[in-house]
Amino acid sequence: MLSAAIRAHRWWIVATVVLVGLAACVPFVLMPFYVRVGQLILLSAALGLAWTLIGGFAGYWSFGHAAFIGLGAFAAGLFEVELMKGQPLLGFGLGLLVGAGVSAVAAALVAWPILRLRGIYFAVAMLGVSQVLAELNNNVDIFKGSMGLVLPRIAAFGLRPEAVFYYILLIATVVITVIAFAIKNARIGAGLMAMREDEDTARMLGVPTERAKISMFILSAALTGALGVIYAHSLGYITTSSVYRTEFSLNMIVYNLLGGMGTIIGPFIGSAVMVILTQVVLGQLLSIHMFITGALLVLLVLLAPKGITGWFRAGLFRKRAGGAE
Amino acid sequence: MSAPILRLERVTKRFRGLVATNDVSFAVPEGSICSLIGPNGAGKSTIFNLITGYLPVSEGAIYFRERRIDGTATTDLARAGIARCFQIAKPFPELSVHDNVRIGALFGRDGPRDVAAVTAAALTITGLTELADRNAGDLTVGYLRRLELARAIAARPVLLLADEPCAGLNATETEDIVGILRAVRDGGVTVLLVEHDMPAVMNVSDTIFVLDAGAKIAEGTPDAVANDPRVISAYLGTPDEAG
Amino acid sequence: MQLLVQTIADGLVLGGLYALSAVGFSLIFGVMGVVNLSHGAIVMMGAYLAWFMWHALGVDPILAIPPVMLMLFGFGYVYQRGLIQLAVERSSHVASMLVTFGVALMLRNLLVLVFSPDLKSITPSYAGHPLVLGGVVFDPLRLAALASSLVLLGALAWVLQKTRMGRVIRATAQQELAARLCGVNAQHVYGLTFAVSAAFAGAAGAIIGIVIPFSPPDEGLWTMNAFVVVTLGGVGSPQGALLGGLLLGIMSTGTSQLIGPSFPNAMMFAVLVLMLLVRPAGLLGNAFAGSR
Repeated sequence: MLSAAIRAHRWWIVATVVLVGLAACVPFVLMPFYVRVGQLILLSAALGLAWTLIGGFAGYWSFGHAAFIGLGAFAAGLFEVELMKGQPLLGFGLGLLVGAGVSAVAAALVAWPILRLRGIYFAVAMLGVSQVLAELNNNVDIFKGSMGLVLPRIAAFGLRPEAVFYYILLIATVVITVIAFAIKNARIGAGLMAMREDEDTARMLGVPTERAKISMFILSAALTGALGVIYAHSLGYITTSSVYRTEFSLNMIVYNLLGGMGTIIGPFIGSAVMVILTQVVLGQLLSIHMFITGALLVLLVLLAPKGITGWFRAGLFRKRAGGAE
Repeated sequence: MSAPILRLERVTKRFRGLVATNDVSFAVPEGSICSLIGPNGAGKSTIFNLITGYLPVSEGAIYFRERRIDGTATTDLARAGIARCFQIAKPFPELSVHDNVRIGALFGRDGPRDVAAVTAAALTITGLTELADRNAGDLTVGYLRRLELARAIAARPVLLLADEPCAGLNATETEDIVGILRAVRDGGVTVLLVEHDMPAVMNVSDTIFVLDAGAKIAEGTPDAVANDPRVISAYLGTPDEAG
Repeated sequence: MQLLVQTIADGLVLGGLYALSAVGFSLIFGVMGVVNLSHGAIVMMGAYLAWFMWHALGVDPILAIPPVMLMLFGFGYVYQRGLIQLAVERSSHVASMLVTFGVALMLRNLLVLVFSPDLKSITPSYAGHPLVLGGVVFDPLRLAALASSLVLLGALAWVLQKTRMGRVIRATAQQELAARLCGVNAQHVYGLTFAVSAAFAGAAGAIIGIVIPFSPPDEGLWTMNAFVVVTLGGVGSPQGALLGGLLLGIMSTGTSQLIGPSFPNAMMFAVLVLMLLVRPAGLLGNAFAGSR
């Protein structure tokens, strides 16, 4: 199935490889400001993709994924600071595993009960979970949430710091995209889409819905956790309020809504538009960022519920989603 | 006479005081089309729910190919080869007809094999090939029923449970459905049908089981059942009463 | 023992306020099935409007409640018929929730721009003279707040039970199609429901402004607060809101005493998640049960 999907999407894959190649040149060609913008686009797209594994693919819209960013950030941070002194690169590598692992475990613990809920109940329950974790992180001293944690600096190959993180994020984004593509075009991807449409009927048809949504939830959490680790290192110093942010949770949804919910290219389009809009176009108007995000969300939901990809698809002969076999 | 592919043995289902199914036993021979009929509230849908494991039995046992299945999870039954179509069609509205049917093929009996071929065959048998790229949500009732059947057929079942597939359809559409059921049976699938449409039932069934108030009151060929006095008084009405 | 009584008393006083601040949210969810994530922002609008009237016009905050309610009534009606109705029609209930989230962000940003992000509070002349009744200390401000909350809750219950508008709202909530067939303009009813909800949210905001210092980011907390109250006590009725509010109030002060003053929020969210898992309809259930 997967090889057929690769054949069906071969021009997309070629285009992606070319794009990645171009993207890799950015730090040598553009000014540091634009490299940082590139970082942000990559991080946002990757987060959007990680979210959509459970959100767009399975239909369970989590409003609290920032929980995993925070968990990953602090788990790795505490691990590296306490146990990996003097080995920043190795510490970072292991920190990624720790961050992803802790997020995965947390997700596994809540997965079964919380995935009984659907729709708005699931959304708000996840919001609640992320708030509980944020509060605990902030108020229990061993987590150093309110005091803050300074993370070891990563330097590599004599590159400037923003270039280092740019490349880390580029690699991370490619990895997550490959994972998302593999899932979407495998049997489980079809099952997830059916589940999204009508979970009970899908179960009747033999789709292993429990296994599918629990595994997607855990995978999504792990990937988000890993991204949290990268984000934390790029900040250098983290507090509860810098990583456990509701607006991260919201942004992950917005990127997908804007670009096209349930697609792989959606988060890329959405994050590119949003980041360029807020950082470049409105960069000077920090004080109205929240207003713009809110207004954009309202407009999107009302005018383009299927996002930008939806505009392209409407009116076109509907493509077979799975590709030729 | 072939061995029964499905056997209910003294199955009873109680809901807190209401006896929905009362000591019902019958056997469905492999390769036949059997119908379950009876007045509203007779317990026909309950029997389907018991067979597919949606509800547990209170007493008795259900055997599929002589293996006990009452209480088995629905997903396992789909993989064992029992498929069910619902009275109220439940397509995946945002997916195309083709993709809907493909889900059946991907997750049906013995896993995904020749998915493309099986999907195409299911579409052909139900006459939906031309509509393959249409959004399932746009179909009319008649075609939705066919989609239900196509999706179930794509799961390569050995036993197909069809819950009132002709409900709300006109004579031509009913004939189409009956034709599809016959083609399915000819392809080696056993069909157990719940239906109210008497002409269709009499036309297509090898054996008919009649339920009334949760109990089985008669069983036999269409002719035998049509002339059975108990069935007539409970359900069909005498030739004078019938319209 | 004394401490326990004090804690419970404090919890009840706080709870009355929580109940009032949540009842509007509860009504909207019960009648329309919409989760209004901008609820807290509307509460904050009430607080800021009352503050403005006190600061610029010298109006006592309790007296400011009727005009605040009136203004937010109008706002709520327009908001629902103009925006939320559209969202529900175009997409789904989850989508309408997102719209309200967007509006919450917009309102929060606006409040910061207009009023600055600093903490504000309203301190009327009768602040700061504690009352001692039977060995329990009461802050007269909080007592006034509790009294106003209970009066308003009672008024809402009366409106819903005894007035024609209340009956129409309840009928539409239980069976929209049937109500429409009886000549009810469902859109207008939903607009009214939202307007009533916003009015009561604003009243709560005005009262909150007296009792607790506030700033725009609080809007998120008050929305979550409302959700917890509803999940605890039940959807769609002032009684449910009162029960949920009082429970939450006691849990809040109890947590503060037993675990630590910075933990009531964590407790609140944990309770939310637990209730959603165990009994999402709340202790009193959905007052309009059967319609959703």
